[in-house]
Amino acid sequence: MGKIVIEPLSRLEGHGKVTITLDENGKPKDVKLHITALRGFEQFVVGRPAEEVPRIVPRICGICQTAHHLASVKAVDAAWGVEIPEPAKKLRELMHIGNMIHSHALHFYFLAAPDFVLGVDADPAIRNVVGVVDKAPEVVKQAIALRKFGQKIVEAIGGKAIHPVTGIPGGQAKRLTEEERDELLKEVDQMIEYAKNGVELIKQINEQYMEQIKTLGVIDTWYLGLVKDGKHNFYDGTLRFLSPDGKEKVEFKPAEYLDYIGEHVVSHSYVKYPYYKKAGYPDGIYRVGPLPMLNVCDSMETPLAEEYRKEFFDIFGFPANQSLAYHHARLIEIVEACEKAKILLEDNDITSDDIKAEVEPKAGNGVGVVYAPRGVLIHNYETDENGIVVKANMIVATTHNVPTMEKAIQQAAQEIFK
Amino acid sequence: MITLAVKVGMIQLCGCSGCHISLLDLHDKLLEVLPNLEIVYAPIVADPKEIPEGIDVFLVEGGIRNEHDEHLIHEIREKSKIVIAWGTCAAYGGIPGLANLYTKEELLNTVYTTDSTDNKGEIPSEEIPALEEYVKPISDFVKVDYIIPGCPPTPKMIADAIVALLNGEEPKLPTKIVCDECPRKKDNVFPEKFKRTFEGKPDEERCLFEQGYTCLGFATRAGCGAKCPNAGVPCRGCYGKTDKSLDLGANAANVLANAGEAALAIPDKVALLNRFTLPDALINRKVK
Repeated sequence: MGKIVIEPLSRLEGHGKVTITLDENGKPKDVKLHITALRGFEQFVVGRPAEEVPRIVPRICGICQTAHHLASVKAVDAAWGVEIPEPAKKLRELMHIGNMIHSHALHFYFLAAPDFVLGVDADPAIRNVVGVVDKAPEVVKQAIALRKFGQKIVEAIGGKAIHPVTGIPGGQAKRLTEEERDELLKEVDQMIEYAKNGVELIKQINEQYMEQIKTLGVIDTWYLGLVKDGKHNFYDGTLRFLSPDGKEKVEFKPAEYLDYIGEHVVSHSYVKYPYYKKAGYPDGIYRVGPLPMLNVCDSMETPLAEEYRKEFFDIFGFPANQSLAYHHARLIEIVEACEKAKILLEDNDITSDDIKAEVEPKAGNGVGVVYAPRGVLIHNYETDENGIVVKANMIVATTHNVPTMEKAIQQAAQEIFK
Repeated sequence: MITLAVKVGMIQLCGCSGCHISLLDLHDKLLEVLPNLEIVYAPIVADPKEIPEGIDVFLVEGGIRNEHDEHLIHEIREKSKIVIAWGTCAAYGGIPGLANLYTKEELLNTVYTTDSTDNKGEIPSEEIPALEEYVKPISDFVKVDYIIPGCPPTPKMIADAIVALLNGEEPKLPTKIVCDECPRKKDNVFPEKFKRTFEGKPDEERCLFEQGYTCLGFATRAGCGAKCPNAGVPCRGCYGKTDKSLDLGANAANVLANAGEAALAIPDKVALLNRFTLPDALINRKVK
């Protein structure tokens, strides 16, 4: 009996390792994913004035900090019963979309693409984004342009590209000037083109790697996503579970999440294992992120992305259960994000000065949800009468995915050691 | 092929990877910097699993939270000529250092008994590194050659430091404070009353502190371009103290105290004045 330890897991943010215990025939007997870091945000936001928390929690993740900033400020608004002005909502949505563009471009081109562009058997020393620069410079040029555009949006609205600061209870602290808007609008059509090129690229890659896509990490799970009037939405709406066979849809409001989502402590990981309560643990483990988002929605929000969604299901079937199809889904979402950015930039409200409502701190309990780059993100705070946080709960995007990531690794290990 | 590239290592310990992303935010300029670097170890972007010997420059993001972080920082020091505390977490502990206001037991109990947890109170322990009692900056464990502070440091600050090292020079940090970079007008008055950030609508041109917002620009190292005050929100001190200062929180408290009684009404002073630097403060944790 032997043991294989893969550590550190690379080309991802965060800390994890995989242990594979082999039986006497060299077959995997036990495969575990260990998330090896814990910081404890749920503890140390307690005692902080709630308006400060959106400035603290972005440090949960330096890639999707905007999502944390916004889920957090939405939770404080909800706890204090504030309705923010419409232009502030649109600013926050655009800021969020900027983050999605940057993060999705990073995730695919910088972190995942080396496997496909250089090949899974390439020397680990060159299998990284620098290697991709050498092999496919035009692809990297467009990836950099997309990231830059996304980060520029976040900086213009959020004040900082990483760890933005302008979301405050009641709305936004900074307006978007006409000059800033025009500057972004000038680039958006080019970005839509680059995003379309991304989808064409992944279609070629799919053909080349269809064997792996159809065999590795193919698992049946529940899916969780965010929809607004049934449509795919990055920023707002209701949560929707889809059953593994794609037949059952369960919709609920973010504020009701405790009735639908449970978390189970396991001994081998700092991350708790979320599950759909009605299906129980472990049957109710589910996936979040681009693939589930496409699975759960009735349609995309924008026209080009909707065409690509239909094509996606022609390739993968419904519901798509192939973990490697996440990349394709992610690239379709970049198209939607760029199209949506254009719609919001062309909206007159986006440069409005009506961005902040009067706010009174009070005792309350609020839930804030967005669809973060890795999937549904939930922040929940309880405040006292002075608006100080007394209790917090966060279920971050990757956390939802950990149990199913482990399941996919188990499946892949069985397949590889066959 | 002869290469003159500098062998670089990068790692995220107890951080969020924001410093790594800030390096990527050089965008097109990245293509000029990258050819000069041979990235021999960097789990966030590259696959090598072992830290090789003979690293020229190691950029360390994040402070020390668990036993594995501590083990790694010693290994990094042994194998590197220059170790840089990259970003505020590595240099001063950063936001995760707010955990030092609680004990390790309190933290674990809270995390594993949230409302969504079903088997409340079980604490994971198998094949995962145990937490240290408190978060600490990396300089508590090894000699650090340089710091590049900021949450995150700006892309330019990171590039300037790398270019300086490539040229065999010492990276230079700004010695001034955020107020020196802030375009807001100052009348040199103390506020009579302090406000929380959601109260009122700040005048766009006047100093936020003088309007009663608890801006910490006066105690914080420059380098960010006063991004937060420019966006209408007060500085929270993410670049840490200046070279001449011993303790950011103490300095800031000293200034706030000049406002007299009004300063006493500021909520949560401990985590405001030490938002990013508690593990590096003279009193670096909750003392019972």
